Amino acid sequence: MVLYLLIYFIIILSATISVIAKKLINSAIMLAVLSIGVSILLFIYGAVWAAVFELSVCAGLITVLFISAVSLVKNDEESLSENRVKYIVFPFILIAIIIISSIFVPEYFLELQKFSTYNTEKEKPIGEFIWIYRGVDIIGQLTLLASSVFIIKHIFFKNKNIKENGGDI
Amino acid sequence: MNINFPLDWFFISILFFTGAYCMIVSRNIIKLLIGFEIISKSSLIAIITAAQATNNINLAQNIIMVMILIEVIVVGSGLALIVKYYRLNQSVDILKMINLKG
Amino acid sequence: MVTDFLSYSLIPLFSALAIPFISRKSQRITEILANVTLLSGLINVGYIIGYHIVKMDFLSFTYDAFALLMIFTIYLVGLSIVFFSTYYDIEKDVNLTSYYSLILISVSAMTSLVIARDFFTLYIFMEAISVCSFALITSSSNKNSIEAAIKYFFLTFPASALIIFGISILMLNYGGFDFDTIKLTNINFLTVISLSFIIIGFLIKGGIAPFHFWTPDVYEGSYSPISAFLAGIVTKIGGIYAIIKISQILLNTDAGFRISKLLLFTGMLSVLLGAFGAIVQKDFKRMLAYSSISQMGYIILASATFSPLGIFAAVFHLVNHATFKTVLFLNSACVEKETGTTNMDELKGLEHRMPYTSWTSIISLFSTAGLPPLSGFWSKLLIIIALWQAGNKYYAVIALVSSIITFAYFMIMQKKIFFGKLPEKLNNIKEARTPLLIPVVVISVLIIVIGVFFNRVYPLLEKI
Repeated sequence: MVLYLLIYFIIILSATISVIAKKLINSAIMLAVLSIGVSILLFIYGAVWAAVFELSVCAGLITVLFISAVSLVKNDEESLSENRVKYIVFPFILIAIIIISSIFVPEYFLELQKFSTYNTEKEKPIGEFIWIYRGVDIIGQLTLLASSVFIIKHIFFKNKNIKENGGDI
Repeated sequence: MNINFPLDWFFISILFFTGAYCMIVSRNIIKLLIGFEIISKSSLIAIITAAQATNNINLAQNIIMVMILIEVIVVGSGLALIVKYYRLNQSVDILKMINLKG
Repeated sequence: MVTDFLSYSLIPLFSALAIPFISRKSQRITEILANVTLLSGLINVGYIIGYHIVKMDFLSFTYDAFALLMIFTIYLVGLSIVFFSTYYDIEKDVNLTSYYSLILISVSAMTSLVIARDFFTLYIFMEAISVCSFALITSSSNKNSIEAAIKYFFLTFPASALIIFGISILMLNYGGFDFDTIKLTNINFLTVISLSFIIIGFLIKGGIAPFHFWTPDVYEGSYSPISAFLAGIVTKIGGIYAIIKISQILLNTDAGFRISKLLLFTGMLSVLLGAFGAIVQKDFKRMLAYSSISQMGYIILASATFSPLGIFAAVFHLVNHATFKTVLFLNSACVEKETGTTNMDELKGLEHRMPYTSWTSIISLFSTAGLPPLSGFWSKLLIIIALWQAGNKYYAVIALVSSIITFAYFMIMQKKIFFGKLPEKLNNIKEARTPLLIPVVVISVLIIVIGVFFNRVYPLLEKI
């Protein structure tokens, strides 16, 4: 029980810092910490394959994408002219909402749990699930991967007619 | 483990609120994308807790893997669009996107 | 998945993957390959449907009629767009590196979506379509297109999150999310909540009021054939198809009552909002966007009655509306190409120079407003009868009245653009080139044919 609370605390803390950070790189790094927290949570629940996948993809790939995009979009004057009040006030709003809603919200979810049907069959191994039961998703994933290649190629088109300033990568 | 279910969904709703706040308040588009990421993570936790209450974890693992893949592709194309916009317009301010009215 | 039609979705995928290797030689081979793929698929599906229509022999029709009609519509609109964009851009001003590949992948993903039997499969392919649309919107080279793409991105992804939450609640309740599983067991309060989340998510993706804020901006700012592609098929398959599928599930149960109220209200709101919004617009494409919102409201109204008549009226109107909007958007692309503007106050009296464009758009707008004997008349009639039979009499009257408003604003548009005297500076424009007109004329002929021979098409629809 204590372990769950600790992990949840890490997740919400990193999400909060990611919101109120001033520089964008700090937000991206806090997003990586959030992904590590979610991965540990998945591992505790017993979903080991998903935890490994999440760790390698989200905490690695997405963070690298964000950091590279943040470096490309460097804009020093803009980040200072923003109103910082609405960010600083966020943790206090969050704590207030946690305290207020913890009084009556968990009972709704307890009601929700009563509707659940417990699956009493024996657990099938994961390999069967990927290939036989949900084999159709493989076609979906192939479609997505193929489309992503063409999308990135399509967006970054060096048109000779457009005047693009911003330099090279 | 069943005693944890309301607590889990309570934290999921708090995380959702954090992501939504980040999306509503921020002025920089990349912050908006970070808020979207937080919401996606909360939905992943929602799937796994729902599956645990019905003892169906392997199905949920499959779904989570596919959803992580979708999320990576969406984030990748979103960032590509933002970088292209920056090259044309030199700013990523969301209040400046008022060219098309309505 | 229903594996009868699996080849319809895999063949465009393989063509799309083969295009980068083939196009090293020349651009013409790419275009010919894209066109031929879609044309062969269309002839195949058209043969299956046409054989049964001509012979009036439906006892041996063992396919799933809904999926077959959808595949026919997808291939028809896809082929028109590919054929049109082959001849649209002469000056090579536009980004054509992966354009055909993206359209072919979208067609493949949409076909896989309509043969899915599962909510999660639907979600995967819907994400694939959305992601391809982001890139296709930015094909043109003006600044507005990137902004339209970013607006589309940020205003439709809350829909994805809502759909995943709905799926997770559904999974909590049943342990799975096939369509068959949900149909057989008892429908209780929790299913209603989860299906409401899923419906709201798909309404946002489809551009229905009150979530329609992204629609006019995106249609106006994107590349013109892609506006036709988006309005013609993507918002339909990505949004409204799932709602019709859900109403097929809840067909004979009485727990769909609350969802029915929600859907009826939303449909009515979008019909009225689209109709009144289209009257005050000055720009041609924006007006067409508002009329899209209005027509999709009709489809939602029809499928909200949860009766068999309502469902096949909805499907028939979906197929019809795909054809109307494709013709109208392609005509607006021709007009924009020739005159360089889409502002309705500046365009006057184009009929003398562009007779074919004018006549085809008259046919499609008569069909949208619901004049006999075109196909739009039958679908509107079925929708109003379905509403009347289900007991929602006020809604039927409002639907009839707003159909008259539709006719009114389209006649205003037609009078402004095509009739009247020709001003001086537009004196030397020509008719659009002949290859650009071929898809438009073909679809217009199809509209007339479906309308006149409706008694042959009707038994096909009953199989849904």
